[in-house]
Amino acid sequence: MKAIPAPAATQPVLVPVRAGRAPRPAGLLSVSAVIAALLAVPLVFLLIESHGAGWSTVAGQITRPLTGTLLWNTIRLMVVVTVLCAILGTATAWLVERTDLPGRRVFAVLLVVPLAIPDFVVSFGWSSLFVWVQGFGGAGLVMTLAVYPLVYLPVAASLRAADPGQEEVSRSLGVGRSRTFVRITLGQARGAILGGCLLVALLLLAEYGAFEMLGYQTFTTEIFTNLQLPTEVPTSCALALVLVAISLVVLAGEARWRGGGRVARAGPMTARVMPPLRLGRSAKAASLTGVCVLMALAVGLPTGASVYWIVEGGVPSVSNSVSVSMLSAAWHTAAYGVCAGTLDTLLALPLAVLAVRHSGAVRHFLERSTYLVLAMPGVVIALALTYFTEQYLGSAGYQTAPLLVLCYTIMFFPLALVGVKAAIARAPASLDEVARSLGQSRLAAFSRVTLRLAAPGLVAAFCLVFLEVVTELTATLILVPTGVQTLATQFWQYQSSLSYAQAAPFALMMIGVATLPSIVLGRFFNRSATGQGREE
Amino acid sequence: MRQLAVTDLHKAFGTHPVLTGLNLEVSAGALTAILGPSGSGKTTLLRVLAGFERADAGTVTIGERVVDGRGGHVPPERRRIGYVPQEGALFPHLTVANNAGFGLSARERRGSRTAELLEAVGLSGMGSRYPHQLSGGQQQRVALARALAIRPEVVLLDEPFTSLDAHLRASVRADVHAICRAAGTTVILVTHDQDEALSMADQIAVLRDGRIVQYAPPQNLYNRPADAVLARFVGDANLLDGQLGEPAGPGMVRTILGLLPLEPHSAAIAGSGTVTVLIRPEQLELVADPERTSGQPGTLGGRVLAYEYYGHDAVLRVKPDSAAGPEVIVRTVGCPELAIGAAVTMRVRGPVVAWTR
Repeated sequence: MKAIPAPAATQPVLVPVRAGRAPRPAGLLSVSAVIAALLAVPLVFLLIESHGAGWSTVAGQITRPLTGTLLWNTIRLMVVVTVLCAILGTATAWLVERTDLPGRRVFAVLLVVPLAIPDFVVSFGWSSLFVWVQGFGGAGLVMTLAVYPLVYLPVAASLRAADPGQEEVSRSLGVGRSRTFVRITLGQARGAILGGCLLVALLLLAEYGAFEMLGYQTFTTEIFTNLQLPTEVPTSCALALVLVAISLVVLAGEARWRGGGRVARAGPMTARVMPPLRLGRSAKAASLTGVCVLMALAVGLPTGASVYWIVEGGVPSVSNSVSVSMLSAAWHTAAYGVCAGTLDTLLALPLAVLAVRHSGAVRHFLERSTYLVLAMPGVVIALALTYFTEQYLGSAGYQTAPLLVLCYTIMFFPLALVGVKAAIARAPASLDEVARSLGQSRLAAFSRVTLRLAAPGLVAAFCLVFLEVVTELTATLILVPTGVQTLATQFWQYQSSLSYAQAAPFALMMIGVATLPSIVLGRFFNRSATGQGREE
Repeated sequence: MRQLAVTDLHKAFGTHPVLTGLNLEVSAGALTAILGPSGSGKTTLLRVLAGFERADAGTVTIGERVVDGRGGHVPPERRRIGYVPQEGALFPHLTVANNAGFGLSARERRGSRTAELLEAVGLSGMGSRYPHQLSGGQQQRVALARALAIRPEVVLLDEPFTSLDAHLRASVRADVHAICRAAGTTVILVTHDQDEALSMADQIAVLRDGRIVQYAPPQNLYNRPADAVLARFVGDANLLDGQLGEPAGPGMVRTILGLLPLEPHSAAIAGSGTVTVLIRPEQLELVADPERTSGQPGTLGGRVLAYEYYGHDAVLRVKPDSAAGPEVIVRTVGCPELAIGAAVTMRVRGPVVAWTR
């Protein structure tokens, strides 16, 4: 799973206009409650399943020495990669947004490209070419290169949106350049850095494909292996519970660190652009080299490796795989992506309206509860849905397209919610009120005003989910309908059987399919960060 | 004819009461200003009138129809209220013409009505532009045209001029006033700016702590405010101690400026004891040749502590010579040589208002 980071920390400050004054939105609240309940389904299933397996059995599984090994593997990798991504993402964001690094406009685009390359494709690129890329070191290298944009993107946006006046005031108060950077610049980006790190950490907990390929054992890979053995239900449940617990700790830690930081600003934000910091000659050369090397390793190598294997395999083998199977896989991938994207965008609407336009304890609880999904890696959601359908629906539900789409919808709902909330925030409630005073019903006002203004953001939310579905592997492997292949599963099958030449075209296809929505997303988040969202 | 009536309106948010038994009647075709400091409940009142909020108790009647009260709550879209929020709130995704015609039916929109509306607000030919291509004043006028399009029973203006530059404010204010007059619409203007209320309104309702403390035409409000706090709120004020009864005699009050005649409608007119006397700064005139007039009955000598020069007039802060007196503010048109420490003599023009303590 890959995620575009939440722009929450970088949004222009929204004054909660007349929060709490609107009448209690009973309809909205009940619809939202139903959606929140739907999202909690996997966790409930998991608990029911654990209960069925017997809590003492489950507890016995948790206290096995294997749990300790998995815990050590998972946590040390999570810490190392998160720290590396924080440094890499912040440094590149600062270079691109605040210095006169040559070609920084080009790098601003290139640095995000790894988001469109699935982690397991990066892993494939490295491990298929270099035998030494494996285990802890290999996983650290591959994952850092694959996911650092999750920090880069929000930090760059927050640096762009930050008030340059603060740095100038700091300098005028006699605080030097480097201390201003630490006290003001990093302070401004703190929420964005933390938000990015959170996504990196959660993603590492959920990753399967890359680690399986590199032979690195974590909770997720172990759950996946156990899933193949029907007798191991208590083990899977135990491991899944531990995984959810770790995710919850990560989420709580981030919330605690972030604290109640507020941005206070008198008057409208200046559209002023700060003059970029002039790098010295050697600093400039070093930075440029560093960024170029990063691009070569994170973008050049994975794509290059795919091209290499295609050339190596020769035309016959490639054309063989490209033919019908690829078209069919691409079609299924796109169909699932469109369904989940549409469903998520629609389901996020009521909660987003509730979150942006209303206040109150119930609203707060409903919105927060959806973040529980973040603590459930794809493998856990897929597992919960699998066990439940096997038990209660027999063969009717398991490995059918609706179940897979439902799984995607639950998995990526929090991402869609972030996008839809940003979209709704662009349509002030006062416009809806004016429309109503002009004789429009509540629904007409919403569709004629709010939806129109929110449309670009809704498209962005859709793209976000679509992108996620295209690059999703773990849950897809578990739930994909029998006889159907998506781009990801077909790639996985070929590379598992070491048919690199056949796998490579699928890798490139996935990158290709994921690139367009990435561009749409990049444009949307850039605009919302700078407040330049006015529709022509 | 009565166009809008509010009776015993109550509204609270949680445990925080905002409107506490508010009564108001607005006659058809009048421009009524609701004047109050921030937090006095102005915007809440407006939102209850528009139907965005429901009253906890009391009734709102528009024309002959009870829109909020025991009988239920009429939703905003069925009230025919033209609402112009702060900053205009134009729809950014629609052209000026589509903004103005938003409340019209699709057929009316295709007709000439939109063009007429834009002409009425002086924006003919701007129909194809987008809101961000207009100046702040033009945006306000489009917002007004949009509200007038539905031929509203009442137009509600929510601090519509505060976001405009000072030099633009006066002209937009005059335009809006003229347009509403021409349309013959009943207008309710919410504002915290007393100059705006005094210059535009036929009637001013002053809101304080959720109820109306005075409802009067502008001159009455300024000249005979209901209490001392209100006197300060609607303009600069000198509030001095005064004595009623002997030896002043009926209709007169004794102050450090001598014996002054009381307004006939003044709250404190008979009786005896200490009262608070209002003297507006422009009621004080400077007497020429302070050497000769100082000490004469009905005058007060003093020294200039500070002054602000505005060109058309000047405001002086004067410390009276009689040591006990407080500083007084004097607004003077024919201003003498201004200097800190200069000796001046003041005299009161016209009757004054007094309140018993």
